[in-house]
Amino acid sequence: MKAGRAFLLAAVVAAAVGAGAPAWALTETEVSESLICYACPGEPLSIDRCSCGDQMRAVIRRMLAEGKDKDEILAYFTAQFGEEILTIPPKRGFNLVAYAGPFVGLAFGAVVAVLVVRRWSAAGARGGSKETDRAELPVDDAVRRRIERELSNLDAEE
Amino acid sequence: MVTLGTLSQGAALVFTLASMVLLLVGLMRNDLRWIRAGKRGLVAVAAFATLASIALAWLFLSDSFQVEYVASYSDRALPVFYKLTAFWAGQKGSLLFWAWVLAGFSALVVYNNRREPDSKVTAYVYLVLAGTLAFFLFLLTVVTNPFEVLGFTPPDGQGLNPMLQNPGMVFHPPTLFLGYIGFTVPFAYAVAAMVTGTTDAAWIRKTRAWNVLSWIFLTVGIILGGQWAYVELGWGGYWAWDPVENASFIPWLTSTAFIHTAIIQERRGIMRVWNMVLILLTFVLCIFGTYLVRSGVLQSVHDFGATGLGGYFLVFLGITLLGGLYLIAESYDEFRTPGTLESYLSRESTFLFNNVILLALAFATLFGTVFPLISEAVVGNKVTVGQPFFNQVNTPLFLVLLGITGVCPLIGWRKASPANLRKNFLRPAVGALVVGAVLVAAGIRQPYAWLAFTLAAFVAGTIVQEFVVAVAARSRLTGEASWNAALRLLWRLRRRYGGHLVHLGLVLIVVGIAGSSAYKLETQATLSRGESVEIGRYRLEYENFRIYDKFNRTVYAATLGVFAGDDRLGALDAERRYYINAKNPTTEVALRTTLREDLYVTMPGLARNGDITVKVAVNPLLVWIWIGGGLMVVGGVLAVIPARRKGRAS
Repeated sequence: MKAGRAFLLAAVVAAAVGAGAPAWALTETEVSESLICYACPGEPLSIDRCSCGDQMRAVIRRMLAEGKDKDEILAYFTAQFGEEILTIPPKRGFNLVAYAGPFVGLAFGAVVAVLVVRRWSAAGARGGSKETDRAELPVDDAVRRRIERELSNLDAEE
Repeated sequence: MVTLGTLSQGAALVFTLASMVLLLVGLMRNDLRWIRAGKRGLVAVAAFATLASIALAWLFLSDSFQVEYVASYSDRALPVFYKLTAFWAGQKGSLLFWAWVLAGFSALVVYNNRREPDSKVTAYVYLVLAGTLAFFLFLLTVVTNPFEVLGFTPPDGQGLNPMLQNPGMVFHPPTLFLGYIGFTVPFAYAVAAMVTGTTDAAWIRKTRAWNVLSWIFLTVGIILGGQWAYVELGWGGYWAWDPVENASFIPWLTSTAFIHTAIIQERRGIMRVWNMVLILLTFVLCIFGTYLVRSGVLQSVHDFGATGLGGYFLVFLGITLLGGLYLIAESYDEFRTPGTLESYLSRESTFLFNNVILLALAFATLFGTVFPLISEAVVGNKVTVGQPFFNQVNTPLFLVLLGITGVCPLIGWRKASPANLRKNFLRPAVGALVVGAVLVAAGIRQPYAWLAFTLAAFVAGTIVQEFVVAVAARSRLTGEASWNAALRLLWRLRRRYGGHLVHLGLVLIVVGIAGSSAYKLETQATLSRGESVEIGRYRLEYENFRIYDKFNRTVYAATLGVFAGDDRLGALDAERRYYINAKNPTTEVALRTTLREDLYVTMPGLARNGDITVKVAVNPLLVWIWIGGGLMVVGGVLAVIPARRKGRAS
């Protein structure tokens, strides 16, 4: 089967070249996205264009040139201005609620959806007719054309 | 004109209140004459709101700086086009625009119902529309009057913020407003359906065009906002997860969920309660977004500040939410339909899971947006939740949503057979895996970007395969040429293929986002004339510098020659603009866009000796975000064009 062979080929190529991702240079923007301008509350440094922001950006560029990584640069600014300077809440204490909340919400929604689908499926099984795989039924060309025509009409009326 | 505007605005409020009274009396007495009178009152409101809007526009065009709002957002040097659009540059004009459009929409609803007999249902629809109108007209008349005059006439106005003098910004707010306001109509029909116990899908069918058009406007507004941020603000991005941006994105997500489950109610008659919840949520979130923007409780780069309207919006929000929830609870049994599904593997169940993901995204975005308030209330510390947080939390959810986008439209209704699954998904899945392998071979190893491209290939594969198979079938049946069959199929099944185009647009947006965020290159350099800076495959040489006046600004422009190897590809002008009446200069982006990548140049620094500091970025695939957005809109428009009425007896 062609599709199966293509899948195998894809898997082999992926396995062969999968190792060793190239390192991408850290940019000023990547760091400044995680910081707020100390003079403009609420304004991410990556967007801010004020002179105080320029000072911060100059420090970031200097530290990048010195070979500092993102964590080191953020630690420097946190030591200077406190955690309020960060655009991302540190993952500890009450802040964990921010990280967990959306996924708890997702899990709750998924559980509700699964329960609903199960309940409706059970109701369908009790009340529904015996299922036959209609795609397997023999259909002659005339019937096929009629089905296609009627489905087209149905879709057009949607 | 000030008197005309003030009187028209006041008259609009009076007629709105009168309409509400007439409609209420008509409903209580069960007397259609009162209802008809109330309905006509709404048309009068539209006329008065139009007069008030014309008056404000005229005051802008005639430089009537004795009006506080005009003096705050315009000046004599402002080009006429921007004078007109300064109408919605501030809060007061935005609210008048909101009231005017809502009044117009209400009159349109009355017009659309002209051939139908008046009933309790339509009376409740008009009542909800009038109630919402009354809120906005009350704010305009009593709290924040755009026609308020100063005690003197200043010689000139303060001018329009230079960053708002951009075509994208001109259309971004009104299109967003049109989206927000449009959802009032389906909400009104939903309330009417609940109150009157109309348990079928009639209200869904009746409001389908309103839903889709409002969604289209919201989409256009969001895309234009992103495009404006990209070309005007000069920070190189298009979306910052700012509270105001999130305020538009959250109802977009819930309305997208609603559009999907509305299809299920139309086709299968199930999910009635859920659809009520979704339209209530969408409407409430539109108002909540406005509350966030206008109350000043959250800091935003949009800088609306505390406007004193937050309390009013909060009250309106509370009434709407509690009223809506009460109606849903009250009519729960009436609306509850014993849902039946024949299989877990069916379009109905995948739509349900698509809803879960869309709502999880909406919840995550809302939760992150208001978390500073929650943390302040609980631990007394207002933490900042910015872009990296939203990227971290929302990206995995988006990727799941993208995957479901490929599955939903092609899985069978009721029960997907193994043959259905094999036929629709085997080739796209294999194709996507091949694409994934090729991407790895090409060096695309960033996990999220790789997954996004691979899933995008899968979704695009399902859409293209379905279309090609359908075109071939039509061509075989009718004998039409393939291109002719394709066009006729697109037109004839425009609702279906409109939806597919929207999904294809989403795929392109994902490709653009993944490419431009994972593989962006960036550098900054200070150049003297003749010096160059290199980035990726480009070399930019500082060639020339000019100073000139244009309209209401003085422009300092540096010309940079763009080279790839020895080939000169063209030149870019990076500008700093000094506007009359503006305190600070603005940076104008120089952009070279190709389908492959954007070369993005700004000039943040300019020295007295003529040296310039340029910030240069290469944003791969970014243009596909705008192309995808355009495709989404085209697909939405195609899907909303009504089917031709024809005899169905045959």
